[in-house]
Amino acid sequence: MPDTYFYHYDDYDRTLVSERVDQFRDQVRRRLAGELTEEQFKPLRLTNGLYLQLHAYMLRIAIPYGTLSSRQLRKLAEISRKYDRGYGHFTTRQNLQLNWIKLEDAPDALAALAEVDMHALQTSGNCIRNVTADHFAGAAADEIEDPRIWAEIVRQWSTLHPEFTFLPRKFKIAITGSPNDRAAVRVHDIGLRLWRNDTGEVGFEVIVGGGLGRTPMIGKTLREFLPKNELLAYLEATLRVYNRYGRRDNLYKARIKILVHEVGVDKMRADVEAEYAETRDGLLGLSNETIEAITRQFALPDLPPKSNLVGAVEALRLENRDFALWLKSNVAPHRVKGYAIVTASLKPVGAPPGDASAVQMEGVADIADAFSQGELRVSHEQNLIFPHVAIEDLPAVYAALGRLGFAEANVGKITDIIACPGLDYCALANARSIPVAQRISNHFSELARQHDIGDLKIKISGCINACGHHHVGHIGILGVDKNGIELYQISLGGDVDFGKTALGTILGPAVAADKVVEAVDALVATYLDTRAAGERFVDTYRRIGAQPFKERVYATV
Amino acid sequence: MAKNLSGDLQVASANRLSDGVVVWLDDAGEWTIRLDRAAVARDGRTGEILLLRARAEAFPVIDPFLVAVAEEEDGTIEPLSLREKIRASGLTFDAIAADAVRYA
Amino acid sequence: MPLYSEAGGLPATYVPLSFADWQQRPEWPAVALANTDPVEDLAPHVGRLRLIVLDFPKFSDGRAYSQARLLRGRMGYRGELRATGGVLQDQIAFMLRCGFDSFESEQKGFGEALARARTLFSVVYQPTEDGRAPASRLRLENRPLAAD
Repeated sequence: MPDTYFYHYDDYDRTLVSERVDQFRDQVRRRLAGELTEEQFKPLRLTNGLYLQLHAYMLRIAIPYGTLSSRQLRKLAEISRKYDRGYGHFTTRQNLQLNWIKLEDAPDALAALAEVDMHALQTSGNCIRNVTADHFAGAAADEIEDPRIWAEIVRQWSTLHPEFTFLPRKFKIAITGSPNDRAAVRVHDIGLRLWRNDTGEVGFEVIVGGGLGRTPMIGKTLREFLPKNELLAYLEATLRVYNRYGRRDNLYKARIKILVHEVGVDKMRADVEAEYAETRDGLLGLSNETIEAITRQFALPDLPPKSNLVGAVEALRLENRDFALWLKSNVAPHRVKGYAIVTASLKPVGAPPGDASAVQMEGVADIADAFSQGELRVSHEQNLIFPHVAIEDLPAVYAALGRLGFAEANVGKITDIIACPGLDYCALANARSIPVAQRISNHFSELARQHDIGDLKIKISGCINACGHHHVGHIGILGVDKNGIELYQISLGGDVDFGKTALGTILGPAVAADKVVEAVDALVATYLDTRAAGERFVDTYRRIGAQPFKERVYATV
Repeated sequence: MAKNLSGDLQVASANRLSDGVVVWLDDAGEWTIRLDRAAVARDGRTGEILLLRARAEAFPVIDPFLVAVAEEEDGTIEPLSLREKIRASGLTFDAIAADAVRYA
Repeated sequence: MPLYSEAGGLPATYVPLSFADWQQRPEWPAVALANTDPVEDLAPHVGRLRLIVLDFPKFSDGRAYSQARLLRGRMGYRGELRATGGVLQDQIAFMLRCGFDSFESEQKGFGEALARARTLFSVVYQPTEDGRAPASRLRLENRPLAAD
């Protein structure tokens, strides 16, 4: 079995995680014995990833920067079988959620996770959350530097940070190392974008105050260029300003985006820089040795360059249309010649988006061992990724994924729908998400038609908290509750691509649950009738505006 | 056909502390996983008393609250809101099975 | 409210003034701040202050953690730093790391928890005012875990 090519826990990391499990076991014991009230216990369980949902507790497991080994994935399958109902839900924040956990079992489940250097630390609560990164990191052809090195550095710094565990509200950090941002850095509390300046030095653009939810905002640039080794001191200064001055009088105005919006980005920058001027020479400067030690662990696996053109692949491409489409949509360029990045679609037609059974997880782990250096990634689009696949192995990977139901050639297409768990599971939701996604998926199941429609991102949230990222969907769908009836508000034109990040605009009155498919169909028909050559759905929308879409939708529903 | 949709009928519900399972308070003041055994308050005043009783019995559960229900001719009760219907009867789609390689 | 400290704290009878009152009498050696009071204003006086009380209006309101770190780290305050208000045993480890050394708490079992709090986590990732060496430094020095 191959070794892993990402950060290895050492005794320090393992000790901390296992001591944290012991602490939580004691907290659970005290709660069950009545020594802690629910009000006192809730923040403790939340910072250990344990929510109470409609039917049960839900455990949100962190997959830091979306990187996972086959061994870890097998353990997740085992835990889902032993402590849950044998399946899990991959989320838009590179987490895995188990939906049927018992409080009394939670410490054992966390101890099992710790066996493979995993945890559920800070996947909830008003603290710095699990750090996310580009899911193609370390493999992408367009990458400047691997963002996971920095995500790991931030993971360590933010774990059990004593000053920032009771922030005004949750705090999400995302990092990208490519000009093509796949980590949505403009819609996070802090987004970090690695780029190379005129002198050839690589540093961070620090973006602050983005976010979706009730008040969606695009993040603003706090610092154009931050030298890399100053990252933690700068983050600490920013978090301190937020901890001291972020609003705590109103839950809905407590995120850093509201602070930035109210004081203005210039004042925010002045405050952060003033704090930073005092902090920068402290102990948080990163030594080159530390950076190098972590960088070495993210070394590219030994991938001997090969030919990009493989006869068997080309032959199959010609004879099997679905394989040809899969190569187009699910396979991305790798930085090493002769290799590719393969996305396993967790969006089979008609299935709950992002869900995988224990058997499917094990099957994916087997494929990773055989064809991708034992390594996997989880994307914020709720798919799984094999980062290092030789092009000559693509037919075998395609066939193996087909046996698992994960070979749908739909990545980036209309059935690659992002959806939150919605009212079927979630205590916050107002309306269901998954059944809506299933109906749309079934309606557009025909593969050639999906590819004809082209890139089209549908994102569905069951409430205004926007876990389904509906604001940045080309088509966004938001479930609302009106006098006990589920209605769905449709928005158009959202985008998370860097430089084009945009929030969608509401099309018109919300539509009934049983009219959502017709509405989407009308939107697609409008696009197909008016698109110019090579134009994506969202480009056509930008060119012609909402009116033609609106007329057709409301004439239909 | 529902006999009583007035919204006056209420039961007390909560999630069980130990495992999060949905439970209802029965006539004996015990928490049960069976909605058909729930104590039904038939007017606002009785509802308040039921909630007080639920809170007094709240040790093994989390934050009890009242749920408006409808009653059929045959006496079966069902929550009025979609959220509570889902809490009472589970997911509205089939979750994937542990040993499944394909959905549905 | 019961008062706890790790060793030899000032007695509960040692009376701090509110920040507004203290500003009138800045020679007084004890002050109690609200978590919105400008802690920076104490900087010229930290040498003669013997007690600073920081308030947690709710346990979930974490502003005083930042105040504590500024007092200890930036201003070099050496006197007693007391947490009051919503002070619960599961926060002790965080409070100690930010430089608190005495605590008012109504929670049962708080004293026992305080005695255990420094050994709860034998690894820390951040350098803070408690002076513990973070994992990143121990790694560079190649020190085994038990050395801390």
